[in-house]
Amino acid sequence: MSLTLRLAWRNIFRNGRRTFLTCLLLASSLIALVLTDGIMKGMMTLMIDTTTRTFSGEAQVHKQHFRDAFDVNLYIEDTSEITAQLAADKSVEAFSVRTMSGSMISSADNMTGAVLWGVDAESETRVSQLKKALVKGEYLTGRDNEMLIGQEMADLLEVELGDRIVVTLSQVNGGELSQALFRLSGVFKFGMRELDKSMVFINIMQSRQILGLSKGAHEVAFNFVDSETAMNPDLDILKALNNGNVEAATWITLQPQMSAMLGMIDYSLFLIGTILFIIAALGIINSMFMSIYERIYEFGVAMAIGTRPSQMVSLIMAEAFFLAILSVVGGMIIAYVLSSHFSVVGIPMGEMEFEGISIQNNIKTVLDVSQFTVLPFAVILLTMVAAIYPALFTARIVPSEALHKSL
Amino acid sequence: MFKAITFILLLIAAPISQSMTNEDRAKELIRKMDDMYRSTASRATMTMRMQTPNYDRSMTMESVTIGEDQMLIRILAPKKERGIATLKIDKEMWNYFPKINKTIKVPPSMMMGSWMGSDFTNDDLVKESSLVEDYSLVVQEDADYYEITLTPKIQTVTVWGKIVVKINKIDNTPAEQAFFDDKGRKVRVMSYKEPKQFGNVTLPSVLEMIPLNKVGHRTLITYDKLELNAEDVDKKLFTMRSLKQRLR
Amino acid sequence: MLLAKLAFRNIFRQRRRSLLTGLSMGGGYLLLAFTLSLSKGSFNNLIDIFTHDHTGHVQIHKGNYVDRPGIQKTLLRTSGIEKILDNEGAVISWAPRIYGVGLGYGGEKSAPLSIVGIDPKLEKNTTTISEKIHQGDYFGSEINADGYFSAMIGYGVADMLKLAIGDEIVLISSGVDGSIANDIYIVQAMVGNRTSYDKMNVYLPLNAAQDFFSMVNKVHEYAVITAHSTDARELARSLSAAIDNTEVTVSPWQEVEETFYKSMKADQEGQKVTMGIVVFLVCIGVLNTVLMSVLERTREFGVMLAVGTNRFTVMSMIILETAALGILSCLGGFILSVPLIYWFTTVGITMPQAMDFGGIIYDTMKGEMNLTVFALPAVIIVGSAALVSLLPGIRAAQITPLDALSDR
Repeated sequence: MSLTLRLAWRNIFRNGRRTFLTCLLLASSLIALVLTDGIMKGMMTLMIDTTTRTFSGEAQVHKQHFRDAFDVNLYIEDTSEITAQLAADKSVEAFSVRTMSGSMISSADNMTGAVLWGVDAESETRVSQLKKALVKGEYLTGRDNEMLIGQEMADLLEVELGDRIVVTLSQVNGGELSQALFRLSGVFKFGMRELDKSMVFINIMQSRQILGLSKGAHEVAFNFVDSETAMNPDLDILKALNNGNVEAATWITLQPQMSAMLGMIDYSLFLIGTILFIIAALGIINSMFMSIYERIYEFGVAMAIGTRPSQMVSLIMAEAFFLAILSVVGGMIIAYVLSSHFSVVGIPMGEMEFEGISIQNNIKTVLDVSQFTVLPFAVILLTMVAAIYPALFTARIVPSEALHKSL
Repeated sequence: MFKAITFILLLIAAPISQSMTNEDRAKELIRKMDDMYRSTASRATMTMRMQTPNYDRSMTMESVTIGEDQMLIRILAPKKERGIATLKIDKEMWNYFPKINKTIKVPPSMMMGSWMGSDFTNDDLVKESSLVEDYSLVVQEDADYYEITLTPKIQTVTVWGKIVVKINKIDNTPAEQAFFDDKGRKVRVMSYKEPKQFGNVTLPSVLEMIPLNKVGHRTLITYDKLELNAEDVDKKLFTMRSLKQRLR
Repeated sequence: MLLAKLAFRNIFRQRRRSLLTGLSMGGGYLLLAFTLSLSKGSFNNLIDIFTHDHTGHVQIHKGNYVDRPGIQKTLLRTSGIEKILDNEGAVISWAPRIYGVGLGYGGEKSAPLSIVGIDPKLEKNTTTISEKIHQGDYFGSEINADGYFSAMIGYGVADMLKLAIGDEIVLISSGVDGSIANDIYIVQAMVGNRTSYDKMNVYLPLNAAQDFFSMVNKVHEYAVITAHSTDARELARSLSAAIDNTEVTVSPWQEVEETFYKSMKADQEGQKVTMGIVVFLVCIGVLNTVLMSVLERTREFGVMLAVGTNRFTVMSMIILETAALGILSCLGGFILSVPLIYWFTTVGITMPQAMDFGGIIYDTMKGEMNLTVFALPAVIIVGSAALVSLLPGIRAAQITPLDALSDR
């Protein structure tokens, strides 16, 4: 066996140019796969992050049926138990308690409907991008009458920092009219139409007061330490939180559109991968055949002096194996370098809009262990499979015919 | 509009002593205006004309009030809207639509919206801004007018940065009420025009509201008939049942 | 053309090698054709779905209604637009609409919602709305026995106002003349589902909506359907010319649904990257093969050059060989691809998970068949293969006959 291996290894380097080209082909396939996978994963991460970490959170807890019609009366009476459980769970990175209600927002010049969010200033910064999205003014500090509105709404209401804004809404459990005065303390721009146009943020103590809630809230949003955790709908923390009164779910359940789109991306990736493999396989077979032709006289001699066909097959397979290893090693190095570079710099894909979210960032490739274990393994396997046909051909060389062939 | 009525009522009933300082006088004026709300009842018929760049229409209505808290307004014309009524009790307001036989409590989403399509808001009608308590007053005067500037106090819930009231010195009738935003821009102006004799008093019979941020918009309320200090206003008028009564 | 004959014959000299290279090129062709078909197909499929769902291929409005909608921006039905639509051959069907907002009441609950007036018959011919009725029956324009018009509502409205089929829904709004609009309608059907874009819509028969908003004989929009979404711009232009009114704007769907159009375009750009990778791989394979073949035939070229063949001719022959092989492979690929793509276009791949674009169910990826899908890949493959063979070609032309003949 070791003779076969030594022979195989030496054979590869006999025709340096061909070996180089074949390795180039294989390595390029691997690089292409790694980059494509990286881009796809990068795009997925970007989309998920944009949807969940901008504001809504990777998972949310609501009162049962709240999400059906966002009835302000379906609030969680006491969030302390929920927050305690979240604080104790190690997979949870941060959480934020929020009230949510429809309201009318008016200024001297205009008025509009809006969703009024009451948030805890401090914990909100650990869950959403609200603070970072501010373009004017200051973030909430917990003082009375602070309010943050989106740039588009500020334009509509023609208000500037410090101007008066009146909130009109009906209180919970009875719907008595409640009005309160605020002063614009900050303007934000998320880049998401839905948020910038129709959402207003105030301190949760005040929103509770206006709504007539003592300790209640409509939503507890939280993020995980590892974003991948959210993809599992069967989490322990969810099971712990879910009871007849309250429902907890990740974005997979809450935003089925997103998961559908991601499913499609996975599917496309699989398709692309398959096709790349087929093309690479054809190239390999081609290359192997050429190398066999070149040495057909030699093989004829080998078989004439008694080399068994099975040994010939082993030889070819071993050559293929070594080719694969070389390509994969080289390919991995280059792929790693390229992917690392792009994971920092990102690939500009222009401006895309997806579900009202404007994705303008460069897509950063994601480096993943599987790219450097599964993919190379697949390439090696592919090469071996592709080598079967040439190997069998070699085994069936008839020495007498081969000896006639000379290049 | 509601404030206007009460303002007018106040002026009739309260003689003003010349010996008070101007500032005190202004406070007295406004305070009496608030006070007078509570002890007066009225009956009126008016025409409201609404002009916008797209349409120009008029509505005729009759109204009954007791004090500041209770008011019932019913539309008499045009035919399409005849019978639609608005009832206000304290801070709550209801609308009744005879065509669909439905009484609707005005929800918060409609509060800041226009009342009956005019340039007045539901909020204007409901707002019980007690001007003396909720605003600080500063008075200036020239040959013809008292100019009272009202600035909302810190806790007062309103969109206005200030309100400036101009009163004719000659007969103490209001001339103009201007509403300003926080930046000092005049956003809307209510003018009082065409004094007429109603019973034994003379009052401006036309109130004109012009929103300055909407080109071509104007609402005019003309008092055709006005009875002040009416004595026979039935308290039972300010109930749901009364609201739902259909006009013949 | 001796050169051509030689080139062709050379291909068949080494059958296995030519076959393998040809397979690689043919495979590349197939893949490119497939990708093109898929990309265009899914794009166009999606456009078809939503243009037939609601938007139509072309829309007609007053002024800048598309950017800044306003209830006052109305079109007069008798202004002649409808006659032009009827006479224009490219128009398959059209539907008038009215849009407004208002407050809806069901029992004690109220909710702000959108009111859409549609002509039951014309709308049914133009869009797929009647297929989105999952409960109740599609409505008509008549008043029922009690004197009420029917309405069709979205699930959001039904949930918020707790309405069921047969219930009364009260609508309050203001008319275009500023008057107070208020009326009762009977719920006859539920449209769409809980996540569709129209869940807060209430559909009224056009005449009822005109009555409600006091806009007799007026509408806000005409939606027009033609044969292909790609004809939209052309149709918009000809309609605009025919209507000849500066206050009337005729917009193709690309302008009406600008954001969707832009994102789809961006998506297509992404596809180009994928195709680029495929072409690159094919090229490497071709380079490999052709280079090998040139090296293998060093002696042969040596003889040719020694005999007096022009160096340029030698190079050209190699390029021609590659190109010819490319053409043959593409032909083969074409033959294979036609049935495949045909199947893909008509039947398509059912996706493991149906995607819901706001109530419009998209569950089958379909391809598209047209000249570009078949021609472009061929041009790319043959072109890049020929280009790539330049390298070995030059190499061959540089052979010194003496070295070549003495080698091996």
